[in-house]
Amino acid sequence: MNGPTEAQIDNCAAEPIRIPGGIQPHGALLVVDPDTRKLLQASANAQALLGDDLASGTLVALDAETTQWISDRDAPSLLQSIAVNGNSFTVSGHHMPQGAVLEFELIDGSEARSLEQVFPKLQTFADEILPLGDPRELGAAVADQVRAITGFNRVMIYSFDPEWHGTVMAQSSDGVLPNYLDLRFPATDIPAQARALYALSPLRMIPDADYVPVPLVPVMSPVDGQPLELSYASLRSVSPVHLQYMRNMGTWASMSISIVVEGKLWGLISCHSEGPRRVPPQVRAACNFVAKIFSLQISAIERGAHAAQRIQLKRRETELVARLSRADAMAEELERNPDAWLALANASGAAIITEEEIRTAGDTPGRDSLIRLAAFLESQGKDRFETDRLSTLWPEGSAVADTASGILAVSISQLYGSYVIWFRPEVVRTVTWGGDPRKSQDAGERLTPRTSFAQWKEELHERAVPWTAAEVESADDFRNALINFVLRRAEERAEMTEELERSNKELESFSYSVSHDLRAPFRHIVGYAELLTAREDSLDDKSQHYLRSIIDAALSAGRLVDDLLNFSQLGRTNLEKTRVDMNKLVNEVRHSLEQDLVDRQIDWQVANLPPAWGDGALIRQALANLVENAVKYSRDRTPAVIQIGGESVKGHTTYWVRDNGAGFEMEYVHKLFGVFQRLHRMEDFAGTGIGLALTKRIVNRHCGTIKAEGAVNKGATFTFSLPEGGKKSDHA
Amino acid sequence: MPDLRPILLVEDNPRDLELTLAALAKCQLANDIVVARDGAEALDYLYERGTYEGRDPGNPAVVLLDLKLPKVDGLQVLETIKKDPMQKQIPVVMLTSSREESDVLSSYENGVNAFVVKPVDFNVFFEAIQDLGMFWAVLNEPPPRGQNGR
Repeated sequence: MNGPTEAQIDNCAAEPIRIPGGIQPHGALLVVDPDTRKLLQASANAQALLGDDLASGTLVALDAETTQWISDRDAPSLLQSIAVNGNSFTVSGHHMPQGAVLEFELIDGSEARSLEQVFPKLQTFADEILPLGDPRELGAAVADQVRAITGFNRVMIYSFDPEWHGTVMAQSSDGVLPNYLDLRFPATDIPAQARALYALSPLRMIPDADYVPVPLVPVMSPVDGQPLELSYASLRSVSPVHLQYMRNMGTWASMSISIVVEGKLWGLISCHSEGPRRVPPQVRAACNFVAKIFSLQISAIERGAHAAQRIQLKRRETELVARLSRADAMAEELERNPDAWLALANASGAAIITEEEIRTAGDTPGRDSLIRLAAFLESQGKDRFETDRLSTLWPEGSAVADTASGILAVSISQLYGSYVIWFRPEVVRTVTWGGDPRKSQDAGERLTPRTSFAQWKEELHERAVPWTAAEVESADDFRNALINFVLRRAEERAEMTEELERSNKELESFSYSVSHDLRAPFRHIVGYAELLTAREDSLDDKSQHYLRSIIDAALSAGRLVDDLLNFSQLGRTNLEKTRVDMNKLVNEVRHSLEQDLVDRQIDWQVANLPPAWGDGALIRQALANLVENAVKYSRDRTPAVIQIGGESVKGHTTYWVRDNGAGFEMEYVHKLFGVFQRLHRMEDFAGTGIGLALTKRIVNRHCGTIKAEGAVNKGATFTFSLPEGGKKSDHA
Repeated sequence: MPDLRPILLVEDNPRDLELTLAALAKCQLANDIVVARDGAEALDYLYERGTYEGRDPGNPAVVLLDLKLPKVDGLQVLETIKKDPMQKQIPVVMLTSSREESDVLSSYENGVNAFVVKPVDFNVFFEAIQDLGMFWAVLNEPPPRGQNGR
């Protein structure tokens, strides 16, 4: 069961509480034109309370100081004693666009005496509470003090949570009124506009819930024809709903003082008494002073606690980041330091989710849930996301409430849904409400305050201990550190890429110079040897053999250089992919080999091949290498059987070339595709040992795969597979 | 009647020069063979200046041009020939040890007529030179004299 929702709140919100058109009867109110000092408006009771002089609009009864204050629009608010019509009043005043507003309250003798006692008490109070570091203790001291100087039956310190539900965190009571300590009141009890007014004007008092409001005469301001704005008037009449609420609670007088911490309404000092009770303005001012001290103290305590936690968390963060910066893999290092990682946000579980991996520490939801949670976080589109009740925002969260009722997540990449997330488990709590909050307002009935204040217990499920501001800031800091870390890594990678590019360039110029400087001498050797052979017909057999060997050696060295260059160029040139007719290609390859096959008996078994997708010239070279190999290694067979087949399966076309030749030992299969790796002796089978490496490189550049199977003297099968239709990109 | 204008062979490597000359000799061409040892010398011949001042007038039947040359390299010589309206009709065959794409590409961009990577195998090299010599010096019909200015 959840608390009342926003939709249930605020039937009262439409009420014009700032312009009620009347005041409470425990004082009189005048509105005076600051320029002419003419009376603009007066409460209907002004004449009776203050006498004819004032009511008639002449204002002669006011003393010089008050008169002076009226004329000065920029003067701060007024609070002083004044004798009018033979009685002592406290007059308070504030300037409004509609005129200077003066409020008069009678002072009787006993009040004057109690006032004298208030200030020494305040002095002692201030000294006593300064060392208190616990908000509850502090609240209790404040409640005691306020009760002592006002005489209310019960003074409660009421603090708001982020949803504006209030909890009675301290109470001072003489036992006359019920004990509400630790009870919780729904946000609907104090509607948003009332809260706004509380923040604006810190103190309001209702001495008698049964009062009859006193209208203003005239009702509308002569200045602008609007009702008088009474936001800052302490005599302002209150909403009948509020009065009904008070009577329902069994309190006939109330006073509340706002506690504003760091500009935000933090809570209220809420005073009640069973019977009517009026607190004179000076005492109210003293209460305001107490509330101020309380606000400052709370602020100091919260700042202190925050700072202490920040320092502690920062130290942990610094240690962890230092460790991360020395590590190669960030996510892995986090997983290696689970305690430090969890401690960063006082969490019981943590996970890092990146495009590549998921790593965790402590108690976290399962992998699948984490992936879906990351998707949810991505949909929120925030750099940081925190909640103590995940399931209310993400329905799937109910299933993982035991580990992830609370999450604090930071995004660590702009591009991918990468997050570091801390988790807190469900902590089932019982909250005692001052009445069932669900019944606070009935939908059909307008402005009906709730009537039951009987305690109502609610069990809160799928909630975690909320994240503190310090923990949230810690997560933010950590996020920044990680992003810097990731950025630095990216820079390092870029540097490495540069370095690679540089050495690639060097290799390129090396291969270029090889192509010129190394090929030429081989060409020359072959050329001169040939010239010599042609010139000297009479050379003996031995000399002829030597010359032949020189030519062969230089030729094979030249071929090696050519092959090497081929191989190195393959990585640099672009692929021109088209649909390749493999049947035609096999025919061409066979045709080109024909010269070598004149005295060979070969049984060709070529199936109908599916077309391939790729660079025609390169695929031709790959296939030619395999077919040449098959021809070469089957030369001892009569007949040699060479099978070529292919099929198209699941987005790939696969081709194989099989022979019944010399084969190879499977033990060495991994060496087959390496550059200069030969499995046979040079004199048995010629070749530079680059052909298969070249073939593999061609296949790989097409994002394909190649494998070989064979057995000694039983033949070999080479199979390569290429992706269809150019769906995959070309990884150079 | 074949045109017996000379063949201009531009080659700095003495061995390549010797082997190329041997190959050309084997074709038994009647054409004279003029040898330039670098790009500058080749241009001197083409423009009838320096040591070639006052030579017999006329463009060569073909220029066999090595790509890598001291001073002015083959590509520059090619560019000069092909940019000159008086000379651009001269067939130029680029000879090179390199099979670098960029060289082939630049040569074709500059209007080379043929590009031959010198084969390691001398017999193949022989055949290539013979074919080239025969084709450009004997079989190829040059534009009429009046049209290229000489």
